[in-house]
This record gives sequence, C-alpha cells and structure tokens, in this order.
Amino acid sequence: MASSSVPVRPAAFRGVGRSLLLTLPMALWSLLMFTPAFLHASGVARASGAVVAVFMTALFYQMMRTGTTYRWRRYFFVALGMLFPVGFIAALLAARGSMSIPIERMVSGDTPFCFMVIPMLIVPAALTRTLVFPGSILPTASNPHSIAVMIGLWLAMTLVLGKAWCAYACFFGGIEEGFAAFPKRAKIRSLDPRLRLVPWAVLLAVVLLSAALFEPVYCTWLCPFKTVTEFAAVRNVETAAQMAIFVALFLVLVVALPLLTKKRTQCGFFCPFGAFQSLFNKINVFEIRFDRQKCVDCGLCLHACPTMAITAESVHEGKTLLNCMKCGACVDSCKKDAAVWHVKGTPLTAKPERARLLFLYGAWAMATMFGGSVLANSLATMIHFVIPK
Amino acid sequence: MTLLSLSASAGEALALGFATGPVCVATCGPVVLPWILAQPGGVRGHSRQLGLFLGARLAGYLLFGAAVWLAGAAIPRAWTGRSWLLGAVQVLLALSLAAFATGWPRRRRAVAGQSQPLVQIGAQPASPPRGALALGFLTGINFCPPFLVAGVRAAQLASLSASLLFFAVFFVGTAVWFLPFLSLGLVRRTPAVVTVARIAAILLACWYGFSGLLILIERIVYG
Amino acid sequence: MRKRWLAVAGYVGAALTLAIAALVPFVLMGGITQAVAHAGLRVDEVYTGGTVARSFTRNGYLVSVYEPVQPRLLQRGGPFVQVVFSPASGLPSNVDELIDLDGDGQPDVRVRFAVPGDARASLHGAVQALNSRYRSVEPIGADSFTQLLARTGDRIVLRIPLAPRR
Repeated sequence: MASSSVPVRPAAFRGVGRSLLLTLPMALWSLLMFTPAFLHASGVARASGAVVAVFMTALFYQMMRTGTTYRWRRYFFVALGMLFPVGFIAALLAARGSMSIPIERMVSGDTPFCFMVIPMLIVPAALTRTLVFPGSILPTASNPHSIAVMIGLWLAMTLVLGKAWCAYACFFGGIEEGFAAFPKRAKIRSLDPRLRLVPWAVLLAVVLLSAALFEPVYCTWLCPFKTVTEFAAVRNVETAAQMAIFVALFLVLVVALPLLTKKRTQCGFFCPFGAFQSLFNKINVFEIRFDRQKCVDCGLCLHACPTMAITAESVHEGKTLLNCMKCGACVDSCKKDAAVWHVKGTPLTAKPERARLLFLYGAWAMATMFGGSVLANSLATMIHFVIPK
Repeated sequence: MTLLSLSASAGEALALGFATGPVCVATCGPVVLPWILAQPGGVRGHSRQLGLFLGARLAGYLLFGAAVWLAGAAIPRAWTGRSWLLGAVQVLLALSLAAFATGWPRRRRAVAGQSQPLVQIGAQPASPPRGALALGFLTGINFCPPFLVAGVRAAQLASLSASLLFFAVFFVGTAVWFLPFLSLGLVRRTPAVVTVARIAAILLACWYGFSGLLILIERIVYG
Repeated sequence: MRKRWLAVAGYVGAALTLAIAALVPFVLMGGITQAVAHAGLRVDEVYTGGTVARSFTRNGYLVSVYEPVQPRLLQRGGPFVQVVFSPASGLPSNVDELIDLDGDGQPDVRVRFAVPGDARASLHGAVQALNSRYRSVEPIGADSFTQLLARTGDRIVLRIPLAPRR
C-alpha cells in the first residue's frame, strides 16, 4: 500500500512560490469557513478553529508541493475519524449522561440524523411520503441535526464529491483507515474479489427489508459505528442482540481486518451507503484513468487501492471500478505516471495535474467546510477536558 | 352454492387480494427480487421463472384454503398455533433461500466416460430455475396478515371448492402486484449482478432465519 | 470536432462542480434543506404518534388524544393510540384518569401513573382497558414505540395498544 512508501515523484514536485500561490484560494476558503468561530465563539473555539484552518491549509500546500494526494488527505481523514467520536460522545454525555438514546428522545424527534440512513428512506418515502427515522424534519434547539438539514448537507456535498464522499467527508471511514495505516505489511494479502460486491448486496437487502418493515434496518441491526456514536438503549433481549452485533462488526470490520489486510474493509466490503454513493460517480466529471501507453501492468495500483476498486481487467480497460473514491492512492503509487486524474470527456493525454487541481479544489473545500468544522469542534471539546469551561 | 353467491365471493376475494397485495409484495419481495436477479435475464425468461414461482405460491395458497375449510372453523388472528407455523415456515424459507444462493445441492454433472447423444434433436429441455418451487410454495404458506384475513373469510364458505376458488381468486388479486418484477428482465445479467443477488439472498436468508427462530424461541419461552 | 465538444463539456462540468462547491455553504445547502422541509414529507407516525384527534382541558393540564396509528406493511409492533398530558409540570403527583379514546362519549381506558418530581426519573403506571377494543397493560413504562409511558420535555406521552381484531 502506498501509505508509508515514499512518493514516486520527486519530493519537490512544484516550487515553493507556485505551491503557495495555488494554496492561497484554499487558505482564504479556510479563513472564510472559520470566520464564525473567530468572530463569535470563545477563546478555545477560536484557537481550535485557527489550528484546524492552518492544518487543512498546510495539508493542501503539501499536496501542491509534492504532487501527491493520498498521504496528505489521509492525515486529515484519520484525524476526522478518530476525533469525531470524541466530540460526539462528549456532547451525548453532557446532554444526557449516556451514549444510549432512550426511547423518549426518539419519540420526541431528538435523534440526530445520520446520512447512512438515506438509501433506506427512499422507497418508503416514495410510496407513502413518510420518513422512517425517529428524528425531526426541521432543526430544533435539542436537535440541530435534523433530517432536512443533514439531507441538504449530504446532497449538496455529493453533487461536488460523488463517491469521493468516502474519502473526503465520511467521518467514520477515517477510523479504519487509521487502523489500516498502522502495520508495515499486510498479514492477509489475498482477498476474494467478490468481497467488493458485498456492499451492493447489503444495500439491496437493507433497502428491501426497510421498505417491507418500515424501519431503517441497517441502523437498527447492522451499523458498526453505533459502537462509537449512539445506540438504542439496551432494555431487552432484542436491543442486547443489536448491541452485540454492532460491537462484533466494529471489532472485526473496523479494527481487526484493517489491521490484518491494510484495506478499508468496512467501507469496501460492507458499507451499503458506500455502494449507494458509488452511483453518483456516474454523474461526477472527475475520475481516475490508466494510460495504456504507459502502463506496464505491474499491479502496484491494484495493491495500493484501499477498497479494491481496481482489477487487472479494469486496468486493461483503462479505468477504475464504479466504487473508486478518488483517494489518490493508485496515482501516487504508480511509477510510470500511467494512473492519472482525469476530467471526463477530455483527452487522456490532457494535463492530469490540471484535472487533479480542479478536483482537489472542490473536494478540499468540502473537506474543510464539513470535516474541518467537526475537527475544530472535537478539538475544542478535548481542550475543555483539560481546561473546563 | 348459487352462481350469484359464487361470483360475489369471487369478487370479494379479488378485491381483498388486490387491496392487500402490497403487503404480500412486502413479505415476498425480499425473497423474489434477489432470486429473480440471479436468474438468466430476458423478459420472456422471467415470465417463465415468475410463472413457476407464482404457480408454486398458488399451490401453497390452495393448500391453506383447503386446510382452513377442513378445519371447520375460522382461524382467528390470535390463534396461538399460528406463530409455531409462522416461525417454522420462515426458518424453512431461510434454508431454501440460502440453499438456492449457495447453489446447494449441486446439479449432477455428466459422469466421465458416459456418452453424450450423437444427435441432439430440438433444443435441450431447460431445467426449471433453481428454487422456484420451494421458494414459491413457502412464500405461499407464509402467514402474512392478508393471508389470515382471507383464511377467516374462506373458512366461512359453504364448500371446499368455494374455499379453494376464493383463495385462487385472492391469489390472482395479489399476483397482479408481482407483475412489475418482470421488468427486472431488462437488467443486464453480468456476473457481478448475479453475485450481488446471491449474496443479498444469503443476507435475507439470515434475516428470515433469525426472525423465524426468534418467533419459535419466544413461543417456547413465553408459551 | 466531437472530441473537442466533449472536452469543452468536461471542463464546463468541472467548472460547474467548483462553482457548486463554492455555493454549498452559502446557498445550496440551505436551499436543498428548505426543499426537503417543504416536500410534504413527514416522520412516520410510529415515531411521532400521529395527529391530534381531540383534546380535553383538565385542572391545570391538557389531555390530547391522537388518531389511532396502524402499522404499515410488515412494520413491527401493533396499532396504538397516543395520549399526551401537558404540561407535565401542571399534573398532580398521581394521575388517575378515565379517558374516552374514540370520541363516543364513553370512557375506554383507565390510566394511572405517578409523576415524579425529578423530570429525568422513569415513569411507571397502568392502563386498564374498559372495553375489548384496547389492551390493558400493567405495568407500562418505556417499553416500545407501541406501548409506552414516558416523559418528553414537559409532556407525558402515553401509548395504549389496540387489541387485535377478531
């Protein structure tokens, strides 16, 4: 995997001056995104906002300077995955003293909406105009993460990112990406290629069952990330069984298998939302392509891909599979510059760096806006552990 | 039974079937959809596959229709024996779905050395789609609420043939809602689509099995 | 020529994507949120309890009876009727009420529960059905969406299960 390998491009792909110039728009964007924190919030929030703004800008600068993407994106993404639960759990404990969500809160529409429910809402909503989620449509004082707000956020960002949501926005994916980065080498090197089809099967199954049972089946039975967010209060055999499944899936798919395979096993081999998000790659103009004139079929890209979105057949066809999340691992690992960023419709030989820049400006803007604010909030929470409010 | 009363009860059965068809689709859809996606494509092929499935489902309906009439009494929704049957049927459904998805039992291959016919006249008869009969029959006796409503009504009819007719017409009313599944024949059958359908079938088999076992365990524990 | 137009279209798409990215926090996200909020969607009644059918004023509080909620398709849990007592702060320490749920002028259930001073304490009570249309539940607590006695904010929410139809 390209995680700990030296980027194949020279350490300085671009001069300092040009790199700074290209980073300037992103620096301004970061300032803009954190202006509310700078103007209105407490000293701790201002400091957290400043740290994150500098962090995101510095990472973007490194992307410009080195010409690589994956490693720098991963620093942000792992930080997001590790820190989001901190902020979220702290907020839960402060509000109600427990990670479990009691039925009272569900009945009063106080459940924060998670974007992973979205595929399961579609069929019931289309048939009956009903949302099978115990939340509130509009934000309230006790639930700012209402259904409409979160769907608005998700859809707006998806129009920009497509499946790259899984590499630049999802606050869960960074957890297993962090675990996958730890070992130097994978203990399990060979994985059945059919595993990459499991998310589609899970998507089909949960959509069918959710439509039949009128409940978000994945959330109530299969989501491993309940373990680090919130879950229905355990009060009978059924809820105890649900909790056991969440914890088991988390330990296996998010911790153990990434450590053993150095792959994002939950994302690539289970998550139905990832499969759903892949559909948006069809309308997104950015993609990764393989220049067959330069490619020597060494297979480095194949092994570098964290979600097995590349096969030997797809490389022969010059493209990735639909579930490519545009993390840049394959491009950074290619020694022949055969794996390139590409804008659909343009010639393959057109400047790939231009395509990468066009993609990164949009993707990093979204990452800064959403992930950056989550990071700042979590950082402020952690500071408050040491310095009480 | 007069012709008038027969047609009246047939009309009632059709209306009941059509009104409650969505519930039948919700009950059986998670079984049918991945199963049909894993079959070879084409609208014509799907018609045959769906026809076999629905035919087996009709057999299940008629068996139930005969049973309720012969029992000589209405089967109320609160009939405690229902949950035993429901649990058992769901477990069997899970096993059938899992067997279909994993390709068990394997079809017998030609034994080495056994001679093939020198001349094949006409097309080789197509083997029935795997799982059609078992899955169709088991979904046919899977006690969804409309099924029981129809059972209560059928048991009150004057004769066995009237009860069978009632259930047959009720079946027609529900079967109309399965026609859209024919459109799945337009989905291109790549190996990926078939694999996804099979894996989904295994996952759904786990769900039905878990659900059925839970019903049985609750009956054992709580009585 | 076609290749040229495709390339132009590609770059236009890329530029559009960047424009959308710039607009997300200022216009787009809010616009889509409003569109979703006004799309005529509603949260499932199993969670919300449905719509208010009628209300009765008591001494210091209001009793609101909701329309019965029926499960959809294969939704788990049975049908129920929600009753809300508000404000909880206006309730006596022990509530013992006869409630007409179906609006026929006759009481259908007798409801008894204690209202603890601590708003975070769990509620326990009993529902006694006075006719065959409803199911007695004793004790009743925060059991499930279809059988519930719980405090949400300054309201007490009670959900009484309907008896299965014979």
